[in-house]
Amino acid sequence: MFPTPIQKSARWAQIGYKLLLPMALVLWLLPLIGVAVTSVRPAGDLAAGNYFGIPSSFAGVENYTAVFQNSPIGWYILNSFKVTIPTVIGAVALSCLTGFALAVYNFRANLLLFFMFIAGNFIPFQILMVPVRDMTLKAGMYDTTFGLVLFHVAFQTGFCTLFMRNFIKGLPFALIEAARVEGVSEWKIFTRIVLPLMRPAIAALSVLVFTFIWNDYFWATVLVQGQHAMPVTAGLYALNGQWVAAWHLVSAGSIIAALPPVLMFFLMQRHFIAGLTLGATKG
Amino acid sequence: MADVTLRGIRKQYGNVTVVKDLDLEVKDGEFCVFVGPSGCGKSTLLRMIAGLEEITAGALSIGGQDMTRVGPSERGVAMVFQSYALYPHMSVAENIGFGLKMTGHPKAEVAARTDKAAKMLQLEPLLKRKPGQLSGGQRQRVAIGRAIVRDPEVFLFDEPLSNLDAALRVQMRAELSGLHQELKATMIYVTHDQVEAMTMADKIVVLSSGHIEQVGSPLELYHRPANLFVAGFIGSPKMNFLKVDVRVEGEAALVTLPGGSRLSLPTEGKPISDGEMTLGIRPEHTDLITGGDAQVQASVKLAEHLGSETIFFVTLADGSEITVKADGLATQKAGDVLALGLSAKACHLFDTDGRAVINGDLTR
Repeated sequence: MFPTPIQKSARWAQIGYKLLLPMALVLWLLPLIGVAVTSVRPAGDLAAGNYFGIPSSFAGVENYTAVFQNSPIGWYILNSFKVTIPTVIGAVALSCLTGFALAVYNFRANLLLFFMFIAGNFIPFQILMVPVRDMTLKAGMYDTTFGLVLFHVAFQTGFCTLFMRNFIKGLPFALIEAARVEGVSEWKIFTRIVLPLMRPAIAALSVLVFTFIWNDYFWATVLVQGQHAMPVTAGLYALNGQWVAAWHLVSAGSIIAALPPVLMFFLMQRHFIAGLTLGATKG
Repeated sequence: MADVTLRGIRKQYGNVTVVKDLDLEVKDGEFCVFVGPSGCGKSTLLRMIAGLEEITAGALSIGGQDMTRVGPSERGVAMVFQSYALYPHMSVAENIGFGLKMTGHPKAEVAARTDKAAKMLQLEPLLKRKPGQLSGGQRQRVAIGRAIVRDPEVFLFDEPLSNLDAALRVQMRAELSGLHQELKATMIYVTHDQVEAMTMADKIVVLSSGHIEQVGSPLELYHRPANLFVAGFIGSPKMNFLKVDVRVEGEAALVTLPGGSRLSLPTEGKPISDGEMTLGIRPEHTDLITGGDAQVQASVKLAEHLGSETIFFVTLADGSEITVKADGLATQKAGDVLALGLSAKACHLFDTDGRAVINGDLTR
């Protein structure tokens, strides 16, 4: 068997493994640990130059309440949700439909259309910055969460379609044929047979798209200017300017901003089920 | 009434023709089996009847109505797939009732019909389980239940038993035959297993590379194969074929057997010309006792003693090898020399194109 299980390797390798693994882990997480520790550091520590040492006292409660009281971070987070949730729903719903169509129906130019969806992913989005900004401006959607949602949905659907189409292609096609012979309409085949079996894919894709969009900084700054529609990623940057030296508060804000994708993952985790199609076929 | 009629049915994928202008009639209530080697187009043909494959040319009618361009849902057929194709997220009861529910039948009726179908197939204790918790045979039963619950006039089976183990296959074969007698519906069954075909069919359609080789009852195909393909396909172990020289004298075709002995087959007035032909005789019709209408000497290469019967693989004087099925008590071993008696009534003669010119029919 390759790789050899660590329990079976030489003694020196076992000891080395047990020493190096936690070290690598800590090293890898160092930036995150740094932010987390800074977020509970009292302001005095930073003034005194204690950037990386042990905090002199625990100021977590003060820092986190200060972030909410002295900055519009609550508002920014709400904006982020207003952008992310509709985008996830829109992109996943659309790609379920497009994926079903591309996977199940054998129409002319099916593959061509599919490749177009994939090709869209290869366009570096930076070159779209000026035309997309122009377009949203002309459509009157500049500086609104709706404009951001619309753009994100359009841009994410390409990747989502690739994902969904391949997932549906992997389902046993005989299920769809069996339902057709039974007289079930195509729409009901989609909603009653294919959709329930797509649950793991929908969950995985939702988490993925949620994280993408939540962490998006580029389009948030390109398509939004005012505080009223600013998502938390761009908002954190604004905090930076407000408290030039208040790194403890910026860190606390960053930790808060990072939480929703993590929560989303745990929320969706129970839907990541392997072998949902078990028993459908001879298996 | 639900007879299935195929007229000039053709299926083409690009330039490749997989089903070639095929004519066939399956009568109402008949159990018709499509049999043939893999790739012969039998499954494609079945899927064309189901409406899952488009018909390139020709006409299909079910129960007298033209169904050539009708979608699968409107053909009134039920199909059982080789892979069962059970909906994995639904219980057995939901699987069986799904089609009825989706086509707008009231809840009470769906439940009643599901129960009836489950009773027929002894599925009642399993109704609440998911397909993943069932064995292969049980899944197969659910798939059949899903078909019978709709009370269709035509059943289509696509190699339904090929994923089951041998013992279960024998049992399900009997159950399917019983089901056919009970329902009296038209059934079309695809298999590559000639034993399944022989045991269940009213009518067998032997297919090879997209065309029909022969249509007939199981015994008709066994006793009077129309060509070399059917002769070799039906029957196990396979029919023996010998290259022989034939000379026609009056009403008899004189066949020179390996080793020099002569066998005279009645021509029954058929025009047969002299020359090289293929003689066919089934392993079970070659006799170890020196009797019959002609004898040949053979040396045993290999003997398989199965208890109920003994299979000898023997070599004839000219080096050709044939199989002989003899009584289970036969004691000969490898290396022994046998005298085989051939009966003219059991011999078939095929011309150079593989067509049967003489069928020795044992039933007559």
